[in-house]
Amino acid sequence: MRKRIVITGMGGLCGLGTNASAIWNEMRAGRSAIGPVSNPALHNTKIASGCEIKTLPDHGVERKQLVAMDRFSLLAVIAAREAARHAGLSVDETNSRRIGSIVGVGVCGWEVIEENYRAILLEGKSRAGIFSVPKAMPGAPAGHVSMSLGLRGPVFGVTSACSSSNHAIASAADQIRLGRADVMLAGGTDAPMVWGILKGWEALRVLSSDTCRPFSADRQGLVLGEGAGMVVLESYDHAVARGADILAEVAGAGFSGDASDIVAPTIEGPESAMRACLADAGLNPEEIDYLNAHGTGTKANDQIETAAIKRVFGDHAHKLSISSTKSMHAHCLGASGALELIACVMAIREGVVPPTANYREADPDCDLDVTPNTARERKVRAAVSNAFAFGGTNAVLALKAV
Amino acid sequence: MADQLATEIIDKIKEHAEPGDEEITASTELTALGIHSLELTEIIFDLEEQYGIEIEMNTVDAWSNLKNVGDMIEAVRALIAQKN
Repeated sequence: MRKRIVITGMGGLCGLGTNASAIWNEMRAGRSAIGPVSNPALHNTKIASGCEIKTLPDHGVERKQLVAMDRFSLLAVIAAREAARHAGLSVDETNSRRIGSIVGVGVCGWEVIEENYRAILLEGKSRAGIFSVPKAMPGAPAGHVSMSLGLRGPVFGVTSACSSSNHAIASAADQIRLGRADVMLAGGTDAPMVWGILKGWEALRVLSSDTCRPFSADRQGLVLGEGAGMVVLESYDHAVARGADILAEVAGAGFSGDASDIVAPTIEGPESAMRACLADAGLNPEEIDYLNAHGTGTKANDQIETAAIKRVFGDHAHKLSISSTKSMHAHCLGASGALELIACVMAIREGVVPPTANYREADPDCDLDVTPNTARERKVRAAVSNAFAFGGTNAVLALKAV
Repeated sequence: MADQLATEIIDKIKEHAEPGDEEITASTELTALGIHSLELTEIIFDLEEQYGIEIEMNTVDAWSNLKNVGDMIEAVRALIAQKN
């Protein structure tokens, strides 16, 4: 029998709050943190709304490490430290080689790229900052988490645009199952509130001109946000042996590739990832009470996701509680799946389904129960978290109560 | 003993050091500065621009020969003299 993998700690920060419980409180209350953005790195971008972390918490990262980090690495380290504390994890000489970290990243460390172009092309500086390469690389957050917590086991970054977190978490569970590690810190991070990135998204014309209204007939697109989420994963036996508080079980994961178009989604790709996930978890569709949707708030995604859910869940699709928490924390790209995992874990623990905020008008193409605006109390035995992405790289996680 | 060049270099280092640390002098060991080694290299590059000199080294070599702040000052001084 394969090893059961459980979550014993969570950490996170995004526009909703700077720790996992603050984020959950806001989600449960259905409060959206989307609003006007004011970050100086945006320069003259005219972006209608976003979801920023206005003030970072006291993080205690020493200056020597800080100078070498782009913002996405710092966010990941803050979340990882919180998760490790929450799990009561102590890392020392005896276990550090058995603990690793996998951090999903959708973009990269772009602040330094931005600064360099501006310094060289606009201000006539002769050279790039010396930390440009190590700050920008997508593997940097995993490296910094490892340095920050002294983790000497498997350490690497994972990237698949908007499904990066889910791929990272599933991959971390695999490291434990394969015997390469006993404990893994896994999740995702991104800090895309930077001029160059926003100009790129603007050009795609998928950004909403007001806020993010997933599944609502008047939805206008997605809203970008920044954040990070990290969880502590370990085998059930390892958690029990050290007396850890088990938050939920990672029951399974399912992946698929659309093999179709770099941006346009398909119904079949998400459908097959959800099916693969349920099969991996050994769960019947009827055993799922909550589905945290990818729910970006674009016309295409929400309609296609609804169709895919119906194919997988059949009649149960209408009994299932669905919501898109992106309506509150926005689309944090590589961090989205990890932030949404906080929603799933807490929904299971508290028996509360967080709502889809900003919902106004029913859409006949999105006619499932999307928990509009107000949280709903119901027992959640198991939850599924969808993440789809440009590139057609789909990753779905299933969690269940322990 | 701190001449103008030494003062300027020490001031530059101070901008990058942890505030409130011990006073930085020519005898302060570079490893004791709490400054990332790459950042120290960048300070040297800034000095290159400021003094119109060229320091031929890569970042690995940079630190094998320099032990304290004084070594850094003398290295720059020698290069300036060479240029003149």
